Amino acid sequence: MMLARTQLEMKQRAPWLLVGLLFLNIVLMGVDANRKGGGQIVRVFIQAVISPVQRVASAITGTIGGGLQGFSKARSAGTENEQLRQRVAQLEAEASDARLTKAENERLKALLDFKNSKQFETVPAQVISRDTTAWFNSVIINRGSSSGIKDGMPVVTPEGIVGRVIATSPWTSQIMLLTDERSAAGGVIGQLGTSESFGAIRGLGGDKGLIEMKYVSGLVPVNVGDVVTTTGQDRIYPPGLKIGEVIEVIQGSASTAHTIRIKPSARLNSLSEVAVLIYRAPEQPQMQQTLTEQEKVNR
Amino acid sequence: MRQFKIFVAVVLAIILQANLQTIWDPLKFVNLPLIVVVYFALQRDMIEALIIGAVTGIAADAFSGSLLGAGGFAKTVVAFAIAFTASKVNIDNPLLRIPVLAGAVLVNESVQVGLNKLLGQSVNGPFIVRLANTVIATMVAGTVLLFVIEQFFSDKALLRRQFAQRRKLARRNVVNISRKNLRFGKRR
Repeated sequence: MMLARTQLEMKQRAPWLLVGLLFLNIVLMGVDANRKGGGQIVRVFIQAVISPVQRVASAITGTIGGGLQGFSKARSAGTENEQLRQRVAQLEAEASDARLTKAENERLKALLDFKNSKQFETVPAQVISRDTTAWFNSVIINRGSSSGIKDGMPVVTPEGIVGRVIATSPWTSQIMLLTDERSAAGGVIGQLGTSESFGAIRGLGGDKGLIEMKYVSGLVPVNVGDVVTTTGQDRIYPPGLKIGEVIEVIQGSASTAHTIRIKPSARLNSLSEVAVLIYRAPEQPQMQQTLTEQEKVNR
Repeated sequence: MRQFKIFVAVVLAIILQANLQTIWDPLKFVNLPLIVVVYFALQRDMIEALIIGAVTGIAADAFSGSLLGAGGFAKTVVAFAIAFTASKVNIDNPLLRIPVLAGAVLVNESVQVGLNKLLGQSVNGPFIVRLANTVIATMVAGTVLLFVIEQFFSDKALLRRQFAQRRKLARRNVVNISRKNLRFGKRR
C-alpha cells in the first residue's frame, strides 16, 4: 500500500479484491447468523478490542450530554422559580406525612431486597455504547463473561426489564433491547396467578419506543394504565418483573384479540446503569416417552 | 503514517457513531462510518477504498444488532462504486459530493437492510421514513465534514498552503528582479 499503484495494477487487482471481500462478508454473515456454538467469535473479538476506548468515549459524551441538558434547563429556570415557590409551601405540609411513609417504605424495601437476593445474583453494569445503526436497538455494557454473564441472560433496571444478552466478550456484553423488533417476552396484565390476560410481548422498533402485546383474548378486560409483568414462561425473564404500562388498547371481541400498546417502564432511550440477572429458567420435566403398561397390553 | 491516520479515522467514526445518540437522539441517523468510506473512496485508490469499506463495515456491524458482514458487504459495494466512478469522472468537488453522499446512503442502507431481511432478521421500521432521515442527516453532516477536512486537514490543503507560500516568495522575487532589470536598463 505504501507504493504508488498504477492504474493498470488497480484495474487488474480491484475486481478480485472486490469479489474476495464480498465473499468474506457473506461468510461472516452466515457464521454470525448461527448464534449457537461460537458463531459470534469475530463480533466479540472486535467488541473486546475497541471496548476500552468506548468506555472513555462514553464517559466524555455522557458529560457533554449532561452539560447540554443542564444548560437548557437553566434557561427556563427563571420562569420555573416563581411556580416552585408556591409549590414549596404546599410540599412542606405534605413533607411530614411523607417522612412516616418513607420509614415504612425503607423497611419494606429491605425485606424485598433480602427476598430478591435469595432468588438470583445480579451483576451491575454501565452502558458504554449504543447501536451504530438506526435499524436495530441494542446497547453494549461494560461487563462480560469474566463477570459470569452468558448469552440469553435477562437485563433489568429498578424500573423494569430492559432486554436480554445476545453476545458476550470477556469484558463486554451486547444487549438486545425490548423495543427491538426481534425482541419478545411472555407477559401478563396484572399479577401472575390473579390475572388471565396472558400474551406475547414484541418490540415495535419505532421511534416512540413502544412495545406490543399480542394474543390477549378479546373477552378479557384491559384498560389504559394497567401494569404488565413477566410470566417466566418465555424462559428468559424471571416471573413477576415489571415490563411497562398499557397506553393504548384497541378492544377486540370474542373472535379477535386486543391490540395493546405498552410503554416500557425502563427508560430505554437514556439507559446508563443496568443489572444483569444471573438467572437460568428451571429445567422442564422430561415428557413421558414410554408407553404405559395398559397401552402395551392393548397393543 | 497514512495507515495510522486511516485506522484512527475509522475507530473514531465508529466510537462517535455509537455515542452521539446519548447527546441527541436524532444523531443516530448520521452514518459517520459511511462518510469515512466515501472520503477515502473519493481519493481514487480503489484497492485502499475496498479494504477500508470492508473493515469499517464489519467494525460497525460488531457494535450493532445487524448481522456481522451485512454492513461490510454494503460499504464494500459503495466504496467500489464511488472509487470506480471517481477514476472515470471528477466527482470530488463540494457540489458533486452531495449527490454522491445521497447515493452512497441509499445503496448502503438498502443493501444492509436487504441482507438482514434475507437472512431472517427483522429491522426497525418504517423503512422509507428511516431511510429518508438517514439520507438527509448523512448528506448534511457528510457535506460539512468533507468540506472541513478538505479545507484544513487533507494533503491537498497542505499542498495548497505550501504553494501559496511559494507563490508569495516567487512574486516578491519577480518584483525584485524586475526592479533590478530597470536599474540595469537605466545604467545601460
